Amino acid sequence: MTTTYITASGAPSADIADVDWAEKRYLIVDDFVGIRQLLRESLRNIGAKHIDQASSGGEAMTLLLRTHYDVVLCDFNLGEGKNGQQVLEEARVRNLMIPSSVWLMVSAEKSVESVMGAAEHQPDAYIIKPITEGVLLTRLNRVWHKKQVFREIDAAYIEKDYLRAAKLCDAQVAQHKVHEIDLMRMKATLLLKAGEPDKARTVYERLLEEREYNWARTGLGKIRMANGDHEAARQMFQGVIAENRFYIDAYDQLAAALTLLGRHEDACGVLEKAAKLSPNSVPRQRSLGNTALRLGNVQLAEHAFRKCIAIGEYSIARTVDAYLGMARVCGQKGDIKEALRLLAAAQRDFPGDLVQLRSKITEGLVYHESGDFRRARKSGDELEALLEREPKRPQTATCIEMATLLFAVGVKDAPVELLCHVIRNNHDNPVLLEEVQKIFDKARMGEEGMEYIAAARREANEIMNKGVLLWKTGKLAEAVEWMRDARVRLPDNMRILFNSAQMLINHMQLHGYDEALMIEANGVLMHVDELAAGQQRFAQLVEQLQMLIPGRAQTPEAIDAEIDALRGVAEAPAA
Amino acid sequence: MKNSISVLGGTLENLLDHGKVPEQGDPAYPQMAHMLYQTRRLSDNLMQLLALYKEVGKPTYPFEPNTVPVRELVQQVAGQARVLLESKQIALELEFPADLLWTFDEDLVIGVLAHAVNNAVRYTRDRIRLTIVERDGLLELSVADNGMGFPPSMLEAGALVGQGVNFLTNSSGLGLFFASEVARMHKRRQVAGAIRLENGGPLGGGRFVLTLP
Repeated sequence: MTTTYITASGAPSADIADVDWAEKRYLIVDDFVGIRQLLRESLRNIGAKHIDQASSGGEAMTLLLRTHYDVVLCDFNLGEGKNGQQVLEEARVRNLMIPSSVWLMVSAEKSVESVMGAAEHQPDAYIIKPITEGVLLTRLNRVWHKKQVFREIDAAYIEKDYLRAAKLCDAQVAQHKVHEIDLMRMKATLLLKAGEPDKARTVYERLLEEREYNWARTGLGKIRMANGDHEAARQMFQGVIAENRFYIDAYDQLAAALTLLGRHEDACGVLEKAAKLSPNSVPRQRSLGNTALRLGNVQLAEHAFRKCIAIGEYSIARTVDAYLGMARVCGQKGDIKEALRLLAAAQRDFPGDLVQLRSKITEGLVYHESGDFRRARKSGDELEALLEREPKRPQTATCIEMATLLFAVGVKDAPVELLCHVIRNNHDNPVLLEEVQKIFDKARMGEEGMEYIAAARREANEIMNKGVLLWKTGKLAEAVEWMRDARVRLPDNMRILFNSAQMLINHMQLHGYDEALMIEANGVLMHVDELAAGQQRFAQLVEQLQMLIPGRAQTPEAIDAEIDALRGVAEAPAA
Repeated sequence: MKNSISVLGGTLENLLDHGKVPEQGDPAYPQMAHMLYQTRRLSDNLMQLLALYKEVGKPTYPFEPNTVPVRELVQQVAGQARVLLESKQIALELEFPADLLWTFDEDLVIGVLAHAVNNAVRYTRDRIRLTIVERDGLLELSVADNGMGFPPSMLEAGALVGQGVNFLTNSSGLGLFFASEVARMHKRRQVAGAIRLENGGPLGGGRFVLTLP
């Protein structure tokens, strides 16, 4: 069917549809008064009555704190201070936006810089100047519609119920062809999060049969990389970059693949190139700094960490890593005073025991690397005392860093204890076992180390087996109790955590819903997700847990029925 | 600079649209309409230069195809051209499949079509027609007018650009080059987009055609 309009005045104008744009609250953020007036004029022409304006990021934050806006039109370049992306990130993190509100990022030109915000803090749409009413209304309506389509999916995503969210994507595609690509892209992301890389791969491959989408090709590469096929992944990322030299995500992934291949020099080169193309990313500058530091390229590391600190100033992505890395740089340049100043700043600006601990470790490394072995030893002694006072151990990477330092400054018992803790919590991770053995070798404790490793593995296995035995012999309550204690002893052991959650769920499946057990199981799973996201078993257990919530569908058939019902709902206001 | 041109264009549109200037019979009116036309050309050229020259050496244009209802594409192009065309008393005819969806980089394609319409303003007598049809698995978007047709130099430039020759001698060349780059970026199953210029279109004048896979 073809529609013909004879004159422009008879042309289709964007439908006002079911959204009452006149009654919404609007905020315009632009540092240029002429543009603010134009935008206000455009908004008035579509009926808007409540329009506020801000001329800077700071002013915008003040207004956002006071009012919940339905629509924010924010320019990306705001002169001094925060840019538009940083205002958006802060507004989202501080919960100043309600889920239904729309954020439109405005820019004079479309560039990688202006559209490459952190993946989880994308605006709802980008609009290029000059903005006409037709474009504004069309985009507003589209974003509004898309938000409706994604509402249920986003809710399931926030609950980390990834498999259910993926099913909802399928249900919505049938109704909303126009969002098919976005829904399929989301579905693949969800399947990856749920630890279903094969299914995610199928989704990407089907999309790529149609068109060459950078993100789909990069997604395939990520799957290869996760499967350990680092060389194939490297080639895919390289291919994406050859086609589209601006697609920054492929650079970051390529650097990761090269690191896994042990090609640290090449990884550093790729990160350097990516940082030149798009310098305003805290995680990228942090990776570059860490990689350069590892290679001993102090100058490059310094540049990256400095940039990291500068862009982090107004960003929620601000990271303590930049301060610690910069302190190491200063140490290697012999500027101990500056290094200590940075460590003090890190502890002041990032409160928490973990940062204090990591600062102390870095302090020791700074002294050690600058040749002040006496002070390095003193830091080591303080760390040792700290470990005696506090039984709780930090995460694996920090433990390993700490053990390395302690051995280097001549402490013996404390690092051994730390490494045994690491092994107990990762008793079935061969890559890590090898790394720990190397640290023992370097400390000239090769043989003793081997024994420590074997003993720690044995201990973890015994605890695990006892729990499983209780469970399998029907002593479920005892098994739950045993695993509770096991979690205290092995707080970061993935298999203990998974089994513990499984038993809690099993208990509720057999004996009915119990709020305390539900909270406990949820806590265990969230801890797992924090340790290592994207595991298949995590997604399966979350799904089982969700089904236990009273009022939720109990069986796969019931879920399908629920989704069918949702389809019916979606059909009513068909677009 | 982009901001200044935006403000200039926006203000002129508001003045022309809301009768804040002398009525259509006043001699100032066509002068202002022409100012708007020139401002639009400046703005288009600047947008094209920014997008293109980022691509060369410092590649930063984030090409992003998305599914767009063809209807909404037409809405946005017609909306951008409305005040200019009304002020010059040119009719815009639109012909498109009502429910078709297509996948392309919306901002780039709007840029190309809006520029083609602006260009047609120069050649037309009083009618411009934007036609979108699906043909052999391709989306064919064309802008035709009822003027005298393109001069031979333009047709030649169009042919050269269509063959991938970088042709940048004047502002018309820039527009054509930009359009052909946009077409080229769109690919589907090894087929890329293309542009062409021809005379003797549906309204008897010139016709600009963009095909997207």
